[in-house]
Amino acid sequence: MNRAFWYFLSLQLFKERSKHLTIIVISILLIFILSSVLFISSSIRFSLEQTLKPQPDFVISRLQGGVNRSTPIEWSDELFDIYGVTKVTPRVYGRYFFRPKGKSFLIMGIDAFEEESHKSLEKLIDSIDIKAFLTGNNMIVGEGVKEYLQKNFYNNSYKFLTPKGKFIDIKIAKIVPKETRLLSNDMIIMPIDLAREVLGYTQDEVTDIAFNVPNPDEWSNIEDKLLSLHYDLGVVDKNEVKKSYETLYNYKSGFFLIIFLILIMTFSLILYQRYNMVYSTEKREIGLLRALGWSINDVLRLKFMESFILIVTSYIIGIFIAYIFVYIYNAPLLKNIFLGGQNLQNSVSFIPIIDIATLSSIFLLYAVPFIIAVIVPVWRVSVTNPKEAML
Amino acid sequence: MIRVENLSKSFYHQQDESKILIDINLHIKRGECIILKGISGSGKTTLLSIIAGLDRPSKGKVLIDDEPISKLPDIFASKIRAKKIGMIFQHFNLFENLSVYENVTVPLIPSGLPLDDIYRAVDKSLKVANIYHKRSLVASRLSGGEKQRCAIARALVADPDIIVCDEPTANLDSQNSILFIETIKELHLMGKTIVIATHDPLFENLNFKSRIVPMFDGKIDE
Amino acid sequence: MNEILFSNQVIIYLLSESLLFVLLFIAFVVSIKIVIKWDFDSFSQKQFRLEKEAYLVSTITIFLFIIKFILLIYFVFTIDSLSILIAGAMCGAGVVTANEYGTYLLLFKLIIIATLILWFYLNSYDTHTKNYLHMKKKSLLFIAIFISIIFELFLDFQYFTNIDTHQPVSCCSTLFGQLEGANPLPFGLTIPLLLTLFYLLYFLTILTLKTNYRVLYIVSNLLFLYLAYYAVVYFFGTYIYQLPTHKCPFCMLQSDYFYIGYIIWGSLFLGTFIGISDALSSIWTTRKYIKNSRLVISMLTLFVVLSSIYVIIYYFRNGVWL
Repeated sequence: MNRAFWYFLSLQLFKERSKHLTIIVISILLIFILSSVLFISSSIRFSLEQTLKPQPDFVISRLQGGVNRSTPIEWSDELFDIYGVTKVTPRVYGRYFFRPKGKSFLIMGIDAFEEESHKSLEKLIDSIDIKAFLTGNNMIVGEGVKEYLQKNFYNNSYKFLTPKGKFIDIKIAKIVPKETRLLSNDMIIMPIDLAREVLGYTQDEVTDIAFNVPNPDEWSNIEDKLLSLHYDLGVVDKNEVKKSYETLYNYKSGFFLIIFLILIMTFSLILYQRYNMVYSTEKREIGLLRALGWSINDVLRLKFMESFILIVTSYIIGIFIAYIFVYIYNAPLLKNIFLGGQNLQNSVSFIPIIDIATLSSIFLLYAVPFIIAVIVPVWRVSVTNPKEAML
Repeated sequence: MIRVENLSKSFYHQQDESKILIDINLHIKRGECIILKGISGSGKTTLLSIIAGLDRPSKGKVLIDDEPISKLPDIFASKIRAKKIGMIFQHFNLFENLSVYENVTVPLIPSGLPLDDIYRAVDKSLKVANIYHKRSLVASRLSGGEKQRCAIARALVADPDIIVCDEPTANLDSQNSILFIETIKELHLMGKTIVIATHDPLFENLNFKSRIVPMFDGKIDE
Repeated sequence: MNEILFSNQVIIYLLSESLLFVLLFIAFVVSIKIVIKWDFDSFSQKQFRLEKEAYLVSTITIFLFIIKFILLIYFVFTIDSLSILIAGAMCGAGVVTANEYGTYLLLFKLIIIATLILWFYLNSYDTHTKNYLHMKKKSLLFIAIFISIIFELFLDFQYFTNIDTHQPVSCCSTLFGQLEGANPLPFGLTIPLLLTLFYLLYFLTILTLKTNYRVLYIVSNLLFLYLAYYAVVYFFGTYIYQLPTHKCPFCMLQSDYFYIGYIIWGSLFLGTFIGISDALSSIWTTRKYIKNSRLVISMLTLFVVLSSIYVIIYYFRNGVWL
């Protein structure tokens, strides 16, 4: 192959541009859809990993009939006695449902005596006076919560209705900045005793107890020990959470991929048809090339290069458009499939993640069916008898 | 140079066999000019295409420089087509939307020659065929005679020993036909072996040495 | 439904493998026809058609090789990324051994790549003869490849549908770590002996490449491949990880080690595979001798230098051996 070959190839491509244009447009569209979805899912996965990193390794709670019940706070003392356990944190949280619109927010309680949660809170929001925050009827809300409250004309505070029928007026002290993403969007943070009251826990109850086990080799040991402490104790470790999220997003994009397969198959059939439609002029041209001394291999090379250039061009353009769509315009419409539009509008922006796995996945899913569809038609036209040139 | 031995060619349409060429023997020496003459359907075009390696016989063989071209694997056969044979077709068969220059380049593309050598060869054959001044024109805008000269340039570009022409004057007016014969004469003087299939009476009295091989019903009629 | 099957990469991998099979089947049918009906001296239309169809087989095989090669890398990559989903797995080692099919699958993949390289050598010899001298051998080899790919595809599906994500698997330290007293090295070798043999075999391979002892060359290549595997896992690897107890062929494929494993394993496998195929095909086709000696030498040398350089750098930095 020399420069003359490439030159001739480009001439051929240019000459038949109208024939190639439809193929390129459909290809770009397919790659655009596919890569948008995969970009979103890998970006979400990345954010998730970032959010899960500071999360506790283990969470225990009381199970009754397989359902989480309020957990006695004494259990945390028992945890301290197990060697290898650190950062034991009793937690109070739950969902609060707003009657009028059927929306719900996540309420999280912060313990006044818990050093760890202070630090993480400080990390979350700078310029906050923790002491003042924890002693009054204050709350910190996520971006999504703020928008919702403002829409319902609660600009400074909201009256929560406790399960006992009492109203508690809680002031909005701060709004969680947008960058924390995903988990904090519909979250309300408040002092632990307030949270207990709003969610209906008594003073010696918590939702669950979190703790860390720094040595990963000890994880299964500790899990066994915990289970022998109480019969109604349930343990969840971080990997399980990670796995279930991973599975959820895999499920969502996997489901999409399977639908996408139908698209790709249809496209391959169209391609096959298109490539099989060999006009007599084309056949004659190939015959002429062969008559002029081109071997079958030369013609095959020309024809495959033609397809390869189509593939690569549409791949690059499709990915480029998807990148702009997802990471610059935040993927309108498509986003809802992944984040779930049922609850508060997630005002999440995606972190640009481009990894080899995603790029190669897109390429394989598109290029393999493409080439498989055209390989037989391309061969068929390439072995045209040189005699065709005489007819 | 070219040796045709016991060559037969049949086409099969369902069960019916129709014989196009029957047991042809022909020996063409280096530098000879051969006119295959016959009415249409006499098999001269089929014989020509088998000699040029464009078609395969049903029996017998064609040897070019002792190489049996009809039975060679494509890689070798195409090399012989590229290096030893220059084709001129009845309908000129140019790539209509390429320029004259690009058309002439086509046979050299698979050769793997450096681009400079290709350009040099193209320039040279454009000059020999007297079409150099129209080299950047798109082929579809050429007149009949110019197309013919472009086709000649293309046939000459790889400097082949053998020039094969199929009804070269069928689409030319008489003036251009005479010009074509002049070119053929030049090629003949350059020492090329020339094989022409035609029924044009112009070729009957050439002013240079040539051999007429009359064909009739798939046989050489001698 | 098995959650492994919903992983994007697994879906794409299995799809590509299955689609490829459709194409292979076409080539398989043609190959069978060639084995039965090929008769180069015939002037029949059937023979001419077969000659054209042979081009379809070689086109498909070239495409097959490219995609199989990409898919092998993709497979390893996928396996590595699955380690999050499987309890106890820290890298690909645990995932591959998650059921009894994984190791065979990986082996099959390597063998198929090796056979495809052999096919390429036969093909290039074949196209240089003026009568397609090796067409039948080539087709038989393709049929063999086709059959191995049937097995591979079967293993593909068996493997991915039978991964239990809840059943904890072993991580590489238990799989490759030394048990008390047990020597994991073959032939009862010790590490110094293994290394001596490793370098000796490297030189032997290069030397025999320049001579005409093809069988010796093949044997020395095979031995080198076999011992190099152990040398990397049990010696060079520990320097890549900079940890004397970390013995694993998979962890070096991860981003923590700059994906160096792909280059190390790639150069080893390609170098030996090309060398062996080259010699084997030249014996099979009774041709004079080996063509791509430079390619083999550079691959193997890249492998040896790259492995050794980790050791040397470690020594220069820390002044001690591990």
